[in-house]
Amino acid sequence: MDSHRTEFERLAMPHLDAAYSLAHWLSRSAVDAEDIVQDAMLRAFRAFDTVRGESVRPWLMTIVRNCFRDHVARVNRLEGLGDRLEQAPSDDPSPEAEAAAASDRRRLDAMLALLPDDYREVLILREMEDMSYREIADAIGAPIGTVMSRLARARGLLKDKWLAEDGR
Amino acid sequence: MSCTEYERTSAFLDGELDDRESAEVEQHLETCPHCQALAAAAGDASELLRGPAARLTAPAGLRARIGQRLDAEAATVVRLPRVRRQSGWDRFWVGAAGGVGVSAIAAALALVAFLPPSPATLTGELADAHIDALMSGRTIAVVSSSHHTVKPWFAGRAPLSPPVADFAQQGFPLTGGRVDRIGRQKAAVVVYRHGAHEIDLYAWPTDGALPMGADRRGYHLVFWAEGDLSFAAVSDVQRSELEAFVQLVKSERG
Repeated sequence: MDSHRTEFERLAMPHLDAAYSLAHWLSRSAVDAEDIVQDAMLRAFRAFDTVRGESVRPWLMTIVRNCFRDHVARVNRLEGLGDRLEQAPSDDPSPEAEAAAASDRRRLDAMLALLPDDYREVLILREMEDMSYREIADAIGAPIGTVMSRLARARGLLKDKWLAEDGR
Repeated sequence: MSCTEYERTSAFLDGELDDRESAEVEQHLETCPHCQALAAAAGDASELLRGPAARLTAPAGLRARIGQRLDAEAATVVRLPRVRRQSGWDRFWVGAAGGVGVSAIAAALALVAFLPPSPATLTGELADAHIDALMSGRTIAVVSSSHHTVKPWFAGRAPLSPPVADFAQQGFPLTGGRVDRIGRQKAAVVVYRHGAHEIDLYAWPTDGALPMGADRRGYHLVFWAEGDLSFAAVSDVQRSELEAFVQLVKSERG
């Protein structure tokens, strides 16, 4: 293994599960997530010279997000991205934990399904990756004000839909 | 139904407002039902997205495929000497590292899945929750040394509004907060530092008798109740220091 490959294994590959989770919830599809992550890891490997050790994770997550956007554009050109929801991979320790996690994953997916792509991605980056508004703004290439208003709208939308469900 | 303060309320929940604006929004939140509902929805969404259900494991086949592709790539590409360019990325990350040090570290360390508290006793559950948080790196969900930021962050996330004060003068600076599940309850956790040690101050609505003080797996626990709230301080500082901290918290309340 050359040193570039070794360094990538040491610094980037530990974030593979996080990258896969991000791709999964952005795309809401286990199949698409695999394509997106494979694409992202290869791109990251080619550009690995440009990043420093401590900032690998947010850098990698930005690449995953961009690959997701490219993937959506590509699929839209071909057919239009439907709501394809495959079951998530099960690697959990026990059947009980798996059942509980599966039910939470369905709730999570149902929540994300309520949000348009633009809102979903800022909420996911904020909560799952704990990014600051500045970091999200740089990741999606938009001003901080846009991040702030999209997050508020995402939450407002969830509030309204959840209240409407409770009222039924 | 909505409110013109949604954006500031939302930014406030994320700890993105300065002290003055935080105080304004905090006051607004006390009386605005729309913003209270927004905070509750934001809290529910946050809990799902930060919970164990959101963290998936990449399929083994995918991992193997990526490894093969990288090996192939590494074998065929002749690399140019490494040149450090001052690209836009570099500048951004230098700046970002200064501004969000703690949360970036927390995000980078958040690789270990959060395990649900398992054993029966409250003491065990608290020690587990504390250790899980330390191990997962997610000890702080809202990073702030200002009670104007930490206290309202709990609105919509915890079933109570915990007392929050800074004891930096006395050697216990406030560093942030999070919400933990203790058994079936949600507890508000206010996080302090003492030297290199973290002290977690748990608060939850009382629903039973409290254990005596205890030591578990190298951590000290001190319990007490006040009004309808139960408290526990958990840390690996020396027991005498933890008790001094508890006295401070009690005197602030009394």
